[in-house]
Amino acid sequence: MRIVRDGLATQRRVIGALLIREIYTRFGREGLGFAWIVAEPLVFAIPVLLTWSAVRNPYEYGLKIMPFLWTGYMPLLMFRHVGSRMLLFVRVNAGLLYHRQVTIFDIFVARCLLEIVSSLTAVLVSGILFYAVGLLDAPVDLPMFYLGYFYMIWWCAAIGLVIGALSERTEWADKIWMPYSYLYIFFGGVFWMAEWLPPSLRSWALLQPSVQAYELIRAGMFGNIVRTHGDPAYLTAALAVLTLIGLLLMRDARKYVVAE
Amino acid sequence: MIRAIELTKEYRTEGRVHRALSAVSFTLDRGEKLAIVGRNGAGKSTLIRLLGGIELPTRGFIEQTMSSSWPLGLQGGFQGSLTGNDNMRFIARIYGKPFDDIKAYVDDFAELGRYLSEPVKTYSLGMRARLAFALSLAIDFDCYLIDEVIAAGDQRFQRRSYEELFEKRADRSLILASHIGDVIKTYCSRALVLHRGQGSLFDDVELALQVYNDL
Repeated sequence: MRIVRDGLATQRRVIGALLIREIYTRFGREGLGFAWIVAEPLVFAIPVLLTWSAVRNPYEYGLKIMPFLWTGYMPLLMFRHVGSRMLLFVRVNAGLLYHRQVTIFDIFVARCLLEIVSSLTAVLVSGILFYAVGLLDAPVDLPMFYLGYFYMIWWCAAIGLVIGALSERTEWADKIWMPYSYLYIFFGGVFWMAEWLPPSLRSWALLQPSVQAYELIRAGMFGNIVRTHGDPAYLTAALAVLTLIGLLLMRDARKYVVAE
Repeated sequence: MIRAIELTKEYRTEGRVHRALSAVSFTLDRGEKLAIVGRNGAGKSTLIRLLGGIELPTRGFIEQTMSSSWPLGLQGGFQGSLTGNDNMRFIARIYGKPFDDIKAYVDDFAELGRYLSEPVKTYSLGMRARLAFALSLAIDFDCYLIDEVIAAGDQRFQRRSYEELFEKRADRSLILASHIGDVIKTYCSRALVLHRGQGSLFDDVELALQVYNDL
């Protein structure tokens, strides 16, 4: 018991220290500094969303344009940021492994956590901004909206775990991530809903955890005016398997680490 | 005690397997000072990295009942873009030591003064070595793993290092990789001679140095 408690205390301390270090190395201590965590995704998201909603036909989706784009684009940002920060995450931090307490899992948790917190803050701030100017309504079913985000976060973390661990082992991971994260815009459920697909295609599309997480988020956003196909039981099972695969790959990745 | 049992490390480069260490074994008791001697590429740094837990051995294992420092060498252990103070803060946090105590000790020992508020990447090798060594003394380990670093400092630093390690901390262990005979004779009582990844242990340091010179 004692050993477990001490171990957890060490891990919390190490992850905390890594987070602070990550913030300083990424954002520096001058200028906006820490505030970049929130500002960085916003600088991206707000112009993109405003431009899109201006150039698209407002009834293109049969739904209000901004809420639809906003529920699609913000999780896309999280997915891409988490994934690309995880590529070669051990190698770029090999110096940290000089300290025995720091495990590659701690490095993963710290990086992933920072990226997720940053993305979620951007969701909150952009949501409030768009709501204030009347472009966005509040989600109809807030618990469902949160549930969808919960699975979306889990999906991003799990894919980060897998891609991060694989990238330490083979250069293919890096090369495949680029087209995958691009094609994800079309296949991942970012700008469409399962209901719009022909039934035969729909059952295939719904195998992807991201598509189902998007379904839940949109069920929360729009309520009964849309038919959605998200299944929390499937998501839990699929993401648990993906996480397990990621953890096994991660344990293995340690062997491939070559220090400076 | 630290016991290395049949440590083997292989690297795969361009499809070929290169064996950096081949079944190296030794035991180090508390308070013992061991030198690792060998020519460039003999496997000294690889062995130190395995002992520091940075890389894992391909075969063999390490048993350890005392704490050991991270490898104190010319690189590693620091984030170059962060200042000396921020690096110190990070290391104090992960080892669970109060920053103020660490800072006071490092200030006194490393004599880096205002350089501590500048990025570590601007430091000279000697300054880095002083910071790394001072920090590890402040954290207080049972065993110090040193990769050439003492030789990088100036005379005054070398004298103070000797005092700290031998007079104030005579009960601590030391593993020192070096190819400088004088440094080894001053610091160590036993030696492990590495040649093409193979190790031989000597209780007589003079003899070990002679064997090394004849390689």
